Amino acid sequence: MTNKTNKTVGAAMVLGGGIGGMQAALDLAESGIKVYFVDKDSAIGGRMVQLDKTFPTNECAMCVVSPKLVDCARHGNIEIITNSEIESISGKPGNFQITLKKKPRYVDEDKCTGCGSCVINCPVRYQVKVIPDEERQKVKLADDVKPVVDKIIADNKSEKGALMLTLQAINASYNYFSEDVLRYVSDEMEVPLTTVMRTVTFYNAFSLKPRGRHTISVCMGTTCYVKGSGQILSTLSDILDTPVEETTKDMKFTLKSVRCLGCCSIAPAVMINDKVYGHVKLNELSKILEDYK
Amino acid sequence: MPCPYRLRKTMIKTIKDLDILKKKGEALLSPDKVKVAVGMATCGLATGGGEVYDGIKSALRETGADVILAKTGCLGFCQMEPIVDVWAPGMPRLTYKQMTPRKVKEVIAALSSGEIKKEYLLCKSDSSGSGLDNVPAYDDVPFFAKQERIVLRNCGSIDPDSIEEYVASDGYYSLHKVLSEMSPEEVIEEVIASGIRGRGGAGFPTGLKWKFAGGAECDTKYVVCNADEGDPGAYMDRSVLEGDPHSVLEGMLIGAYAIGANKGYIYVRTEYPLAIKRLHVALDLLRKNGLLCENIMGSKFSFDIEIREGSGAFVCGEETSLIHSIEGTSPEPRQRPPFPAQSGLWNSPTNINNVETWANIPVIMRKGSKWFSNIGTEKSKGTKVFSVVGKIKNTGLVEVPMGMTLKEIIEDIGGGIPGGKKFKAVQTGGPSGGCVPKELIDLPVDYESLAEVGSIMGSGGMVVMDEDTCVVDVSKFFLEFTMDESCGKCTSCRDGSQALLEVFTRISEGEGRENDITFLEELSSAIKDASLCGLGQTLPNPVLSTLKYFRDEYEAHIKEKRCPAGVCKKLVSFYIDPEKCKACSICAKNCPVNAITGAKDMVYVIGQEKCTKCGICFDVCPAKFSAVTKISGKPVPKAESKDLDNIEIASS
Repeated sequence: MTNKTNKTVGAAMVLGGGIGGMQAALDLAESGIKVYFVDKDSAIGGRMVQLDKTFPTNECAMCVVSPKLVDCARHGNIEIITNSEIESISGKPGNFQITLKKKPRYVDEDKCTGCGSCVINCPVRYQVKVIPDEERQKVKLADDVKPVVDKIIADNKSEKGALMLTLQAINASYNYFSEDVLRYVSDEMEVPLTTVMRTVTFYNAFSLKPRGRHTISVCMGTTCYVKGSGQILSTLSDILDTPVEETTKDMKFTLKSVRCLGCCSIAPAVMINDKVYGHVKLNELSKILEDYK
Repeated sequence: MPCPYRLRKTMIKTIKDLDILKKKGEALLSPDKVKVAVGMATCGLATGGGEVYDGIKSALRETGADVILAKTGCLGFCQMEPIVDVWAPGMPRLTYKQMTPRKVKEVIAALSSGEIKKEYLLCKSDSSGSGLDNVPAYDDVPFFAKQERIVLRNCGSIDPDSIEEYVASDGYYSLHKVLSEMSPEEVIEEVIASGIRGRGGAGFPTGLKWKFAGGAECDTKYVVCNADEGDPGAYMDRSVLEGDPHSVLEGMLIGAYAIGANKGYIYVRTEYPLAIKRLHVALDLLRKNGLLCENIMGSKFSFDIEIREGSGAFVCGEETSLIHSIEGTSPEPRQRPPFPAQSGLWNSPTNINNVETWANIPVIMRKGSKWFSNIGTEKSKGTKVFSVVGKIKNTGLVEVPMGMTLKEIIEDIGGGIPGGKKFKAVQTGGPSGGCVPKELIDLPVDYESLAEVGSIMGSGGMVVMDEDTCVVDVSKFFLEFTMDESCGKCTSCRDGSQALLEVFTRISEGEGRENDITFLEELSSAIKDASLCGLGQTLPNPVLSTLKYFRDEYEAHIKEKRCPAGVCKKLVSFYIDPEKCKACSICAKNCPVNAITGAKDMVYVIGQEKCTKCGICFDVCPAKFSAVTKISGKPVPKAESKDLDNIEIASS
């Protein structure tokens, strides 16, 4: 009697060989089900094998993936079918009929040891495909933004180290960078978008989110910290009802912490826009904010 | 780019032209009528310098007094800001402290009736002056007495926006001397002979650096002024740029001549808007007077300077990272060699020096290397500017000869610790430096001695800590900083700082484990060995130095779950001593989360579940009661809100 209920029958198909697919395939295979493991790429592994670290624990991605890769390949119940996509599905739960289309690999999978020699010796390897200008979709900026950005780019383009100057000027005008502006800058200055992004995300002064009319910078330098600026920051966060590095809902204030305003003698210091307040006391904060409301 | 002012007739070509400018400057500095100058650097402005300036303006308009109103930079005694200097013919220069619009009105009113208001006076410039016997002279004020001001020579005494006043203080004479009398090689030899070392922190001999860059063969060479002063707790560069930008520019001009550079960059933090503004004004004045662009002072030497702003990244203070930032590429440091002296900006030889180093150069050239090398110790020559801040009476910028002991700086110049608290340690060198404990207070301050005890000179931040500062908390703060600012290139720095911080967070929350201290030590030395640039190599310094000198505090956190200084939130509770509470209700009124309950004539009680441990109640409780106490390492006594009278009966 118990035999009958526990007996596993049939087979399963897992589509997509990423980290989720691999785990699913392994779990199914472990419980005794035959698994057809399908991926449209030439190998399983998915996105995670391209990563160095994973969020939020900063764990080494390869250390997580590679044991599972090996397990999938070795498991008797798993049959890996790569280079394949689904052509049709018929039937109902419990009894599906699936037709796969397997693209040619031109390599005998049974004989290949994965040595990589063919890849290295391929004469057309590393050929970069360039999208012709007429096929490329140019970013369009809003009518009021375009002239400003155009002027900034024209002013700085001939300078050495133009990208930083351009980004700083745009930041001064708009306080933040929208995706369109970044793509536009990349296009117009002929700098890869990755380089633009890398620069923008590196510096504290740049933001990818719109910021409020007034920027409150709480100094977190050593002296200010020793004199209690941490409390000031959290109290301001309470008063404004917004987390640090964020903007209030009415877009009036952006609260952020900065690394030393160089006003250590009057610590703790807070800078609102360009005005520095020294010897700030917790119970004075609301009063200071009144001037900006 | 050709100079826009090249057709002007006022270009300085000969020493006579310079002398004319000097005369003008002297008339501005010591006019034949009363002159009032307000200290208007960032700290002066933040404490109300702007209001004082406007106050004087309106007072002058009301009284119609014939007085010149001017601005100066920062005198360095930030505690006393806003500072106002009064010059009257035949009198020593008078320095007023902590001025307000009301106080300046009194001073102006007295001046217009020919009197001197003696209240609020900080000092006078020399011992002369009739009727001012009780006022201390500049050299007698303890804060100034032991200082030797070379870099800060003009800060607070001249108008930073006036080239005439800088020339009147012997400015640009060194440049003239260098251009007219010396060969580039001679200039480099002079700098080597002076023994000056880089003031940015690492202490590499400046002359040698110049020699490498000067010896490199290339048509284009660059000089760079590193004004990306990122160390929290240090602000000497800001003060020099705001108070005396020309001294830095003159140093750069001399350096450019020596190594054969034709272009200079000043890389300034964007957090210093006033410094950037004053540099722009100063550069414009240089161009107008023929001291920049082509054929400077009639010589064959051509040179131009451009300002580049940072955008808030600490690592950009590292020289290869700074180069990448100016180039507009990803600002991560790179492997050295090649050193910037061989291949720097756009692969050309580049010489990078710190603001303070540049500001020293004109004086060395004017007074000679021998004079300079007589100041300081055997291996560390000259003076160093420190920003003495934190738990100390006289906060401010002090410039002292190398080799002065910490004790002299903290006690004699700084005036010791306020509020009768005990001195605990001094943190030097910012996040790359370490803590020097009170046992080592007789340590002479120079590059070698500080390195020996596990700290560094750094850019000169000196944060004084008293017994209320927790070293675990401070080290954690620095790690948060370096973790945030790590560029992410080296795994050891990127992940190592995070791993260190995790342990610190654990310790400060009372979850520390037995072997945590050993782990911290091991990991720290691994990070030191495996990181590419100065940021990673020095980030474990705060950890290692505090572990060395304050191991008992770490152990108290880990074993007894106690924070001896009462700082680590999770290990501290606030408690109102029922014996001391006088039911004044100040604490309850100020509590942001309404955790304190009580009523008239009732002892107040803090609800521990609601309390966020912000510490406001501790701060606002009147000192004569000091009923709010911090409890750490033991349970909080149970307290019931009792009637005040009953307690008094019970205790009497």
